[in-house]
Amino acid sequence: MPRPVCRRLPCSTVFAFCIQPFTFFILRDYSRYETVIGLEIHLQLSTQSKAFCGDAIRFGADPNTQVSPVSLGLPGVLPRLNERQVEYAVRLGLALGSEINLCNTFDRKNYFYADLPKGYQITQDRSPICIGGGLDIRVGDGEVKRVRIHHIHMEEDAGKSIHDAHDDHSLIDLNRAGTPLLEIVSEPDLRSAEEVDAYMSAMRRLARYLEISDGNMQEGSMRCDCNVSVRLKGETRLGQRCEIKNLNSMRYARRAIEFETRRQIDLLESGERVAQQTLNFDPATGATSPLRDKEDAHDYRYFPEPDLLPVTLSADYVQSIKANMPALPWEMYQELVTTYGLAENEAAILSEEKAAALFYKELCRFSSNNKTAANLLVQKYLPWCDENNRQPDEGPLSPEQLADFVRLIDEGKVAHAAAYQFIFPALIDQPQKTPLSIAQELNLIQNADSDFLDRLTDEVIADFPDKVTEYRSGKKGLLGFFMGEVMKRSKGKAEPKTTSGMLSKKLEA
Amino acid sequence: MQTPQSLSAIQQALSAGTLSCTDLVEHYLDRIETTRHLNIYIEVFAEEARRKARELDQKRQAGESTGRLAGMVLSIKDVICYKDHLVTAGSHILSGYRSLFSSTAVERILAEDAIIIGRVNCDEFAMGSTTETSCYGPTRNAADPDYIPGGSSGGSAVAVQAETCLASLGSDTGGSVRQPAAFCGVIGLKPTYGRISRHGLLAYGSSFDQIGILSHNTHDAALLLEIMAGPDDYDGTASRKPVPAYSEQLSFGRPARLAYFREAMEHPGLDPGIKAACEAWIEQARAQGHTVEPVEFPLLEYIIPTYYVLTTAEASSNLSRYDGIRYGYRSPNARNLLETYTRSRTEGFGAEVKRRIMLGAFVLSAGYYDAYYGKAQQARRLIRDATMKILDHYDFIFLPAAPGTAWRLNETVDDPLAMYLADIFTVQANLAGIPAIALPAGVHENGLPIGIQLMGKPFAEGELLGFAEELRS
Repeated sequence: MPRPVCRRLPCSTVFAFCIQPFTFFILRDYSRYETVIGLEIHLQLSTQSKAFCGDAIRFGADPNTQVSPVSLGLPGVLPRLNERQVEYAVRLGLALGSEINLCNTFDRKNYFYADLPKGYQITQDRSPICIGGGLDIRVGDGEVKRVRIHHIHMEEDAGKSIHDAHDDHSLIDLNRAGTPLLEIVSEPDLRSAEEVDAYMSAMRRLARYLEISDGNMQEGSMRCDCNVSVRLKGETRLGQRCEIKNLNSMRYARRAIEFETRRQIDLLESGERVAQQTLNFDPATGATSPLRDKEDAHDYRYFPEPDLLPVTLSADYVQSIKANMPALPWEMYQELVTTYGLAENEAAILSEEKAAALFYKELCRFSSNNKTAANLLVQKYLPWCDENNRQPDEGPLSPEQLADFVRLIDEGKVAHAAAYQFIFPALIDQPQKTPLSIAQELNLIQNADSDFLDRLTDEVIADFPDKVTEYRSGKKGLLGFFMGEVMKRSKGKAEPKTTSGMLSKKLEA
Repeated sequence: MQTPQSLSAIQQALSAGTLSCTDLVEHYLDRIETTRHLNIYIEVFAEEARRKARELDQKRQAGESTGRLAGMVLSIKDVICYKDHLVTAGSHILSGYRSLFSSTAVERILAEDAIIIGRVNCDEFAMGSTTETSCYGPTRNAADPDYIPGGSSGGSAVAVQAETCLASLGSDTGGSVRQPAAFCGVIGLKPTYGRISRHGLLAYGSSFDQIGILSHNTHDAALLLEIMAGPDDYDGTASRKPVPAYSEQLSFGRPARLAYFREAMEHPGLDPGIKAACEAWIEQARAQGHTVEPVEFPLLEYIIPTYYVLTTAEASSNLSRYDGIRYGYRSPNARNLLETYTRSRTEGFGAEVKRRIMLGAFVLSAGYYDAYYGKAQQARRLIRDATMKILDHYDFIFLPAAPGTAWRLNETVDDPLAMYLADIFTVQANLAGIPAIALPAGVHENGLPIGIQLMGKPFAEGELLGFAEELRS
């Protein structure tokens, strides 16, 4: 039977190379340099079963429970292709405008590690499934930048090694072994940690829109290796690069890149050269340190995987995936701006998650006002869903109810502030009620009755003669003060438009 | 009791009530006992075999129907997984390893009521041509115990030769079924690559490996093939081609066209006795109305190097999983991960396996890949194309099964190259992925069996078996 325990792994080489300390005391002009970054994103696909066997994929399951003889690499087992992973790869490739390779072959990448049961990883070395393409990202000032994709290939994930759970042993969990991955290799088109952040966010968003991965970095569904080099601005040749391995959060990626940029510039400025290395990032120290040098780089001895036949895709197959492509994030964004008339920032927030955008569109089918509806989702409902860990369509309120809510504001029945402050939480607590009945219960229905408003405005004008004088001498801004008084005395129920009209008329008189 | 020589004889006796499965199993267990000195079996499943025989006998008495292999008592090579049974590939590195599942081949024969009587010896991980590289010591040829039985399926060949079972399942990566069959005077069939699922066969050279059958006659081989062959969800390389009822149409039915290689018959390494036997065989085939013609095959000399580059490359990767981490042998002397690997593998693998892993790792390594692995891939393509071209014009290619008869124990232990060269006539079928069969062709003046070999077109197992059957009768 499989034994999940192995001897502690050696970590002798990792700390042999010391980080240059205190270089920041030296004044250096870092702005003369630019950072050049290429990314390898590993995206775990959300298929039901593994890449080459029927084992289930479930994050958080007890260790070594999602494993069959194939995942364990027992003698005599063979891989068989999960065709779903091919479909997902094609979907992503089409979304990125890549060329789809119709004749796919697999290769073995050979290396020994305790969490790699077969002693090799099945991957695509010679013929990746997607070639070229690109992804647009928004950088700093809203400018759009295209990050080119070099290729995307399919491969299987390894298991997990846990080095800190036991005193003298490393623990191995093979649940993840064999999970299908896409490795998305970009061109060196990124120039800063911010751009990396934007690129990864955009890729994550796209993966979620395409429903091929949850892109969850905490659970390791999305990880990345960064290739970082620096060069003087204006230089066109690339500098010597270092690869930082296994960055499993955007924050780590950002810190690692910032550290590494400085380290490389410091080396160059002190007349040294950057050595090509594979680096490890330590979140505790915020520093990178060499994992291995170029000289002792692994020789993976790639060769064609003899256990899997080539996978030939027909043009029809690709066409059918194209025909059934789900909405893409940038299409959704554009639709919200042009068709729904939303401001860019609202459209950006609503299109961040496909579920939110779809929920919004559903809401608009019932709602009288797209903008009020967007504001309600952005300000109130989506934050509530986030806090309570729910998808919008899993929350207590239906699009119809929210549309009723929008109508209440839109028709002036309830003041905007009162609706957000009082009715929204009450409705969440009592979703079986209508927004209108809650407004009535809370006595928040606005009053546009002219007798009622006439009396209130008269009162307020009479109570503040000094302010009236000031107003009449030109301090028109005091209208807000009078409005506030009326609202206070009406307990927020005075209908603002009529009230303000009435007030200015009386003050001007 | 005389050992029955075919399943049909056994099934007739069972029907007539003159034989029971229990008698049969007891007889084979006796035979196993009296042939202990040949070191055929690594493990005998005596109690299980007896129990299964009793069940079959009771079924028969109760008038219930039994499977098509009722009365078939087999042994399996120690590279074929059988659920809850040890499988060790003749290697210390798998000591104590019990399979969690059965190979597809085993599942299918068990479903037809075959009885598996034991697990037989083989070269370690099927790497060898003598059955001497096994960690359990060599198996000996029943024709003369001072001689090797061939390999790597030497245990399977002697198991049939010494009548300890009716048939045996072996595996053939470069001749491992056919060469020992020839050395032991039995029939050895290597089907087309992908004809029988490899699920549950411990991998040596994945693009060459194929489960094969060793038997006394073509009928038994045909029936076993028919039952084991066919598509399998657990092996994507298993062919989806329909499986003909080989056992029901065991004839060729017309004059056949055969080619033989001039280079092979004039090969300086070819034993004169073997050559004479081949010439006699050719004459006899001609006398029966078949056409046998010489053709050129100038690629013959590239066959061995191509084969050893590619199989060792695949083996170096296939055997990486034996790392001492999850199962099998783990060195007690290892103090960290690297030592777990190096010591477990150094202590667990034998010399021949280590030699091939190193060779394979070398031919795949950066800087050498193109010169060795890449070239060998190209050579394989050329050899396959040339072979297919010949088979466009001929039904079969005739070759000796081996350049000589079996040799003495220990003769090639220190000369692996000599051992590799003895594979010259068998590896072609694996390089081309085509079916081939070794057939007994008399006895050499040294008293040892001689075998000849026929190769056929892809998936032409039916023709091969039918032709062999016609020639015999």
